[in-house]
Amino acid sequence: MMKKTLAGWGLCLLLGVGGCDSTPEAMMDMGTDMTAGQCVAAQPASAMCQPFSGALSSCKCSNDDYAPRFNGSKNDTWPSCVSDGNAYVLLGTSTPGASARTLAFVSMGTKLWKNAAAPSAAEMTAARDEYAVANGIGSRVARRQDIHYPEVPGSNKFACNDLTVAAMYPDRCAGPGKLKPIIDDAFAKGIAGTKPIVQSARIEASLLWFFYLSSLSEIWTSSFDNAPDVDSFWGYLSGTERSKPIGLGQYFQQLDQETYDRAFDSVLAARCWRDLDQALPSTCSLFYQRAANQADKAFTRGMALILRDRIGKIPTLTGEAQEAALTFVNIIGGLMDRAARAIDPAKADQLKSSTQATTAAAVNVGQAQSVIDSLFGCP
Amino acid sequence: MALPLLWTTHAVADSDSLVVRAGRDDGLPDERAHSTITRSELDRRQPRSAPDALRYESGVFVQQTAHGQGSAFLRGLTGQQTLLLFDGIRVNNSTYRQGPNQYFFTIDSRTIDSIEVLRGGGSTRYGSDALGGVIAAYPIEPLFADGELLFRPQLQLRSTSADDELGGRVQVHLSGPIKGGQLGFVGGVGYRDVGLLKSGGRVENPNPNTPLGRYPLVPAYAKDGVTQLGTGFKELTADGRLVLRIGERSRLSLATYHYLQFDVPRTDQCPPPYAPMGTCLTYEQQFRHLVYLTYEGKLGALLWPLRVSVSLQTQHETQRMDDPSVLVERRGIDDVMTLGLLAVGQTRPLALSQKTQLQLRYGFDQYMDWLKSEASRTFTDLGQTAALSRGQYINGSSYLSGGLYVDGTLSLPRRFELYGGVRWSYVAASADAEPLSGSQAVSQRWFPVTGNVGLSWKPVSILTLRFNADHSFRAANLNDLTARQQTGPGFQFENAALRPERATTFELGAVLDHSIVSVQLWGFQTLLQDAVLKVSKTDAECPPSTPECVGAWTRFQLQNAPALSELRGVEAMLRLRLPLGLRVRGTLAYTWGEGPRVGILGYGTSGVVIGDRVPLSRVPPLHGTAEAVWQYTSFEISAGVRWATTQDRLAIADYADARIPKYGTPGFAVVDLRSSVRLHERVQVLGVLENVGNAAYRYHGSSVNGPGRGFILSLRVD
Repeated sequence: MMKKTLAGWGLCLLLGVGGCDSTPEAMMDMGTDMTAGQCVAAQPASAMCQPFSGALSSCKCSNDDYAPRFNGSKNDTWPSCVSDGNAYVLLGTSTPGASARTLAFVSMGTKLWKNAAAPSAAEMTAARDEYAVANGIGSRVARRQDIHYPEVPGSNKFACNDLTVAAMYPDRCAGPGKLKPIIDDAFAKGIAGTKPIVQSARIEASLLWFFYLSSLSEIWTSSFDNAPDVDSFWGYLSGTERSKPIGLGQYFQQLDQETYDRAFDSVLAARCWRDLDQALPSTCSLFYQRAANQADKAFTRGMALILRDRIGKIPTLTGEAQEAALTFVNIIGGLMDRAARAIDPAKADQLKSSTQATTAAAVNVGQAQSVIDSLFGCP
Repeated sequence: MALPLLWTTHAVADSDSLVVRAGRDDGLPDERAHSTITRSELDRRQPRSAPDALRYESGVFVQQTAHGQGSAFLRGLTGQQTLLLFDGIRVNNSTYRQGPNQYFFTIDSRTIDSIEVLRGGGSTRYGSDALGGVIAAYPIEPLFADGELLFRPQLQLRSTSADDELGGRVQVHLSGPIKGGQLGFVGGVGYRDVGLLKSGGRVENPNPNTPLGRYPLVPAYAKDGVTQLGTGFKELTADGRLVLRIGERSRLSLATYHYLQFDVPRTDQCPPPYAPMGTCLTYEQQFRHLVYLTYEGKLGALLWPLRVSVSLQTQHETQRMDDPSVLVERRGIDDVMTLGLLAVGQTRPLALSQKTQLQLRYGFDQYMDWLKSEASRTFTDLGQTAALSRGQYINGSSYLSGGLYVDGTLSLPRRFELYGGVRWSYVAASADAEPLSGSQAVSQRWFPVTGNVGLSWKPVSILTLRFNADHSFRAANLNDLTARQQTGPGFQFENAALRPERATTFELGAVLDHSIVSVQLWGFQTLLQDAVLKVSKTDAECPPSTPECVGAWTRFQLQNAPALSELRGVEAMLRLRLPLGLRVRGTLAYTWGEGPRVGILGYGTSGVVIGDRVPLSRVPPLHGTAEAVWQYTSFEISAGVRWATTQDRLAIADYADARIPKYGTPGFAVVDLRSSVRLHERVQVLGVLENVGNAAYRYHGSSVNGPGRGFILSLRVD
């Protein structure tokens, strides 16, 4: 690609002007293989892996999990990389739009689900404007995929962008297929003044699930579409420094610090993978898979904690607030069913009986929380 | 007195020696690199639009962001960096954006008598924007039958297969003697309905390592894989031109031209990359209205002739963005009203000595823009609409530009000619602050001085060698200073502190003009100082209260380059007039552009190695044309080839631009066959078989692939 066209050289000769050969042209370096050693697991400095803390101390750690908080990642099997300093270093040149969407989610929350009073129509409208802004959350909900499910048949990896396709494959196309209808309906009803607290809870639950799906799908798209999407993974967790999470990361942290830390570790793992493997498409499935698995486990545990917490609140609430909590549980619970069923179908059935209850009285809080603890006990 | 209206078929005068074009008696400056497209060439080529009419011109490369839009590149520059004129009146206004725009499309090609293209800077005579060149369209004039009444109705019908166009134009010439002169009128009404454009197939990404596979993200296709979604439009035009000839040396023209285009989807935004189907940016209304009064007269040795025009032009745009992902419709309405005054004079050649003559031209022009801009958002499920705090521009902005110039030609002994000129311009841009959107007030004043100088020599009577140096400018306009908009590469926001960009061009030309063979060869170098570049920005640099900027994949701000940008190139044209009515014509052009790398690397540059200096955006590749025409009595056949090589020299912004395949636009060669036959004295049929090889091709920087194999059929009755 360093070539200069024949015409270009001819022109230089014709005009006799300088500088014709002084300028390096843009070069494509796509698909460059990583050096062989970078895609091989490293020898850990010690067999001792990063132990779980707090209530999770009984969880079993693995040296294959990226552990930047523990001896600077020297005890895990990951080679040295940019994340070893335990801070997120952007791959791209700018904070990703995902961070702006996290900020918008926080701002919407103050108007809706964190509002001390029932949101007014004006607050609902203002929140919807934040949601619907060009390149805002809504634009991404409409294309978000749940990478736990098989891809839509065909060669187009972004087929879910077509709403008719999304309707045919709602599991894979969870954003447009499942979340968008809930959110659209909730905004319309909320603006109309129909149970605005319930509508706020529907929006909150759907968006939390969107952020959960987004984090995982950004690792996926980083592997073949746009490497800096790994920054969006960080942005959808919180987009801030580790100690001051907002958005989904803050939900995780408030419920369990270790779960949040493990989630952030997985973000750093993904960034480490993209440091070790800069090729596009990715050529190192070893570390890609490890980062994705580490993220899936931590994030799913985080979502389970959110569900567990909201289930516990149902008996403490009354009126529309209780209905809102139940609605929240219905939504997140329904979406968690895949993960639960993948681990233990019988327990998944038990959990479902509570999360899909239509009345607060029908929710078996103790049993549901126990099942969650057993299914998603370790991040 | 009622005049008897007569059909006439005998010879009529359609040229008027008094017509003064753009400040001189024969159009754009002869001494510069230029070419002319005549009405007969337009009829032969059957262009779809005014920009399309330029495709066979030397050094012109036409980009299309939408099927109903088109923008010509001259020497690597386009849009606000080139100047459009209609009958000498400036078409450019202060909302012309950086990069390609749609506005030359708003001149109805069926009302054009000829188009002249000046390549290279032209600010001395024409003021701001004329960096890459000037495109001057001249309208059809009324026909006169000396001393007699004339009435000539004309009908044109046209159909095309690639985009299912069906349309036509009714035109009438009416003229006759009146006391002290002659009065003539030409006017018409046109309409066409254009459907989805079928291409020859999908253009492929030229780089085999593209992660997304074989095809660019735009345009979107129907299931047949060739029909391009986000194309098609409707068009209504109307015009009238009343000319009063007063004696032998004066004339007065009152003219009005109206162009109304409806429902033009912007192809690269229908849908944008990754967005759901149904997402679409549509120009619901793209209107341009022009009315002007012109006096032309030869009044004396220093006014030989004088031309004075007063013009009023309005540009109206209604944009609608349908976003089904969030059940929102965003709408923007922008109106520009421009009042223009133009006065151009010329002296008779003044003999300074036996072999030395001087002829001077001088002029004054001023254009004032007033801008209205508003935007709204509607939740489509609720029908709830709210006005936004600002539109694309700041409502109530204004822009004044004008200047004075003088230039001249000194004819010297030994077939030398020296020419040159100087211009003093003034520009004032004003816009209020808009606190809710964090928009700053604008109050900018500039007084640029520009000029040109040149020398020509005729060593033999058929050969002319020319050297020109030109210094031109473009003042930042209201689009640069105030606009926030979604552009091809990303979200672009304003820079209220931009300085004018300046171009210094040096060109060498050799022009051979013989009855059998004509050759033009030009080489040029343009140095752009303070060139306005699209510079990638971080989210932290977005203006306040602009979430669509923060959330965008790529954000840009226009910024003056801190170092020189350069454009170099060659342009060649060959014309052969052979026996037996055979004519052959060929063109070739190459431009190389480069500027300093400024700002961060944006979206899409992952894995790309980029140096300290980078190619300028969307500079056309090596390209050319060839045409052969054979005429026998009233029958004519011709063949044309258009070709371009791959362009993989991309600017940083180009990598984020979905219009450009990854990583570059592949080359192409397209063959068109044409014929025309006069079936009757008043009936002519013209046909074109376009893209004979059904090539899948795209002009670099376009969203739209060129038409696939198809026919264009045109019927003319007059």
